[in-house]
Amino acid sequence: MERNVSEALRYLGVRGAPDPALLSQLSAAADRLARAAPPRWVWRAFPLVHGPEGPALVGADLALPGKMAARMLGDCAQAAVLICTLGAAFEALLRAEQARGMARAALLDACGSAWVEAGCDEAQAEISARFPGLHPTDRFSPGYGDLPLSLQRDICHVLDAPRRLGVQVTDSLLLNPSKTVTAVIGLSERPQPARIRGCAYCDLGENCQYRKGGTTCGA
Amino acid sequence: MELDFLHNGLLILDGAMGTVLQQRGLPPGGKPELLNFTQPGLLRAIYREYIQAGSQILCANTFGANAPKLAGTGYTVEEVVSAAIAVAKEAAAGTGVKVSLDLGPLGELLEPLGTLPFEKAYDCFKEVAMAGERAGADLVSIETMTDLYEAKAALLAVKENTSLPVLVTMSFEQTGRTFTGCTIPSMARTLEGLGADAVGLNCSLGPDLLLPLLKELCDNTHLPVIAKPNAGLPDPATGAYGMGPEEFAAALLPCLEAGVTIFGGCCGTSPEYIRALVKALEGKAPAPRTRRSTGFVCSAMAPCFLDGVRVIGERINPTGKKRLQQALLDQDLDYVLDLAVQQEDAGADILDVNVGYPGVDEAVLLPKVVKKLQSAVPLPLQLDSTDPAALEAALRVYNGKAAVNSVNGERSVLERILPIVKKYGASVVGLCLDEHGIPPTAEGRVEIAKRILDAALSYGIPAEDVWIDCLTLTVSAQQDQAAQTLRAVRMVREQLGLQVVLGVSNISFGLPGRAAVTRSFLTQALAAGLTLPILNPNQREMMDAVAAFKVLSGEDLGCRAYIARSADAAPVSAASGAAPSLTLEEAVARGLEGDAGRLAKEALLTQNELSLVEGRLIPALDRVGADYEAGRAFLPQLLSAAQAAQAVFEAVKTSIAEKGGTPVKKGRFVIATVKGDIHDIGKNIVRTVMENYGYEAVDLGRDVPPQVILDTVREQDIRLVGLSALMTTTLPAMEATIRLLHTLEDSPTIFVGGAVVTPGFAARMGADHYAKDARQSVEIARKVFGS
Repeated sequence: MERNVSEALRYLGVRGAPDPALLSQLSAAADRLARAAPPRWVWRAFPLVHGPEGPALVGADLALPGKMAARMLGDCAQAAVLICTLGAAFEALLRAEQARGMARAALLDACGSAWVEAGCDEAQAEISARFPGLHPTDRFSPGYGDLPLSLQRDICHVLDAPRRLGVQVTDSLLLNPSKTVTAVIGLSERPQPARIRGCAYCDLGENCQYRKGGTTCGA
Repeated sequence: MELDFLHNGLLILDGAMGTVLQQRGLPPGGKPELLNFTQPGLLRAIYREYIQAGSQILCANTFGANAPKLAGTGYTVEEVVSAAIAVAKEAAAGTGVKVSLDLGPLGELLEPLGTLPFEKAYDCFKEVAMAGERAGADLVSIETMTDLYEAKAALLAVKENTSLPVLVTMSFEQTGRTFTGCTIPSMARTLEGLGADAVGLNCSLGPDLLLPLLKELCDNTHLPVIAKPNAGLPDPATGAYGMGPEEFAAALLPCLEAGVTIFGGCCGTSPEYIRALVKALEGKAPAPRTRRSTGFVCSAMAPCFLDGVRVIGERINPTGKKRLQQALLDQDLDYVLDLAVQQEDAGADILDVNVGYPGVDEAVLLPKVVKKLQSAVPLPLQLDSTDPAALEAALRVYNGKAAVNSVNGERSVLERILPIVKKYGASVVGLCLDEHGIPPTAEGRVEIAKRILDAALSYGIPAEDVWIDCLTLTVSAQQDQAAQTLRAVRMVREQLGLQVVLGVSNISFGLPGRAAVTRSFLTQALAAGLTLPILNPNQREMMDAVAAFKVLSGEDLGCRAYIARSADAAPVSAASGAAPSLTLEEAVARGLEGDAGRLAKEALLTQNELSLVEGRLIPALDRVGADYEAGRAFLPQLLSAAQAAQAVFEAVKTSIAEKGGTPVKKGRFVIATVKGDIHDIGKNIVRTVMENYGYEAVDLGRDVPPQVILDTVREQDIRLVGLSALMTTTLPAMEATIRLLHTLEDSPTIFVGGAVVTPGFAARMGADHYAKDARQSVEIARKVFGS
């Protein structure tokens, strides 16, 4: 699996050519993570129905409201929902690292964000392999675009995430453990264009850390 | 209730309820516990099918019948539990089948991962357990636990508030760990110590993949072992479980051979599976079992088998340590954690924890320290106190199997401490002394060791959990005693076969060149049979002696650990040869922690603390801060510099503690992550950087209610408050906190930050400042405190 060190650098706000010492520390942190907190995921595919309220997952009793879901899944008769997490192992590692100093902890935290994304890529590859004739859409998540954050709770429920992954959703819709991603991937008979490009599609707008810092996340 | 049924041959539990209900057309979702009211007939019918299939115990439909999960349903725990037990008992009436109260996880994560305190989890389980016994449950099944701490809370609640037998099963992944990192030996030995009547595994995997884990479980417990697997794994494309009844039953037979005697099914199973299982087990007898018999302590994540030399780190003990004494009086738990981390990194296997000091309420502080340490350090702890209330409070919140240091041969001490040791399944250190003092001969000490062992056995504490301290006396004062101690070590090891403890450092007290004497004594004691030296693991020569001993004794097979240790040591010696011209300012700027600390100590020989901080440290930090703002340095460098500054501050604090002066304090601020927000690394980064400019943080943590922040500000007369929020969903909590603080007559300056906060939001919420990063927070503090 790709350790995504360059992604971690981006999370740390490092621009330009990174200092070799930083790069080697980051690489060491990524290696430790790979050993101690491998990403785990569960996913499940459902048939989609397209009603006036937008697409909904049949058998999961789950509607995906908003313009983005309608546009992303418009061409799809099925969709997979996915949860990927580094689990409590990462949290324990991060607490231990914080006790040794925030500099090391910040590196580990950035690596964790990159590493859980790498897990999502792996899970997506698994889904594609399971449906060889179908074409996946871009992966999109609650809180991105106009897909409501409240879907975190529904997706965790549908996938039995507390029991199968140890993932909980708090009252304020935070996922715990922290390095956890939920996502939806449409599956279509026709090849799907890459639709998620640029800040225009994202609801973070002026709240985005990258934009605050004068860059973008690259999506 | 008689426990014979757990031990007489094989016992059959029931299978799943949820997946069967779905097969019968009930839609997924909703609270299954409410079916006790809406569909009692359907539940009874399924129970009867399980009884006909051969189940001897039914689990009542109470898996989620606890206060957190029932919130908002309009039903109380008492109502749901009594209805559920009644339904199951009606189905079982006249059949001799027993009904178990089912306790599942609370659905909220316990501290430190979540925000639910251990004590609150205990209260929730207590409510369910008492309701279950009142409703007539025959036993209790604690199931599907993935956090040993939550399983402990549930088990204690059942044991302390009911007289029912209790079975505990946890869910493990194929890696042999639960989601929270708990290992099988830790689970088995901790729960057995706490008085579970049977332990086992349920859910997560099919019987085939559970087999190696069940074998490991059987190796680690005397108790009957339970297997309640899923019907294989679910297919993500369809949601269907992969194993049919026959395949399921066939895959469980090797588990019988491994020693399992209690069988049932979890997700995806049905009465058909139980029928197939009963048929497969027909005429079969339990397999013989052998348990790995050895001393043991653990945290949830780190089992520690005492089958060789294990080092107990001695540093968390305030005797003669002014800096730690001050930290304990200030309840500065971060400093205590720092001592723990250093010892872990130096190779300690177990940490002794002693917080006894005049002015410290051990019964309050010891459990707090235990919680702090186990949040970040996986090593097992040895709780060192003579106060029974402190020991009980600490053992209660300890997540694993701890050791207690110590008792001695005095009858009254044994009677006070041993029942607590037994109740929490701890190991215990016995000192070879009594009301008449320390016997001068080895024989006299062994006599006391025997007395301690007999007393422990009489309380049901097994010999493997009894550790004997043969007592190190100072050789410069009582020279003949070193030989007696070494003889006693040999005799206790050979005659009683117990673990032997010695605090070795004491041997050289008062002598010059102490390390040579201590090390020589350590080596001789190890050769005599010492298994648990208590020492300072930060002294490399002591750890070298232990490592070398393990090579010579054969414990370190192939000398692998010794060779790895030598390889690790090489870069350290290279680094210590740093450029002689390095200045304190450069060391801080480059984040060289060790050098910064050393140079600060040197500087303090000629410079006072205040001028060191203000004249040299802060300007150095400012230069890094300016580079950060200009985009020439990034967050990792800023934090490395802060960490190096931390080492300078540590030198300053030590210097002040030694002189008995007042600490350098430039102003105190409150910092907190707001209510509902649980991820706090951003807040911790801000805190670290501000502290290393000399500001004193009152860190209230995460998920902090507005009222707590207000109370702290009022009680401690705080002039600056920093609030962090990560999510759009928690911005309202930030706003509510600001509004509440503004009700104060003289409200403090408030700055806010976090992923979703913008200058616009900050202004609209009424915050005085928006801080985009840690660096800006420092500037705000300067404005408020004027330096």
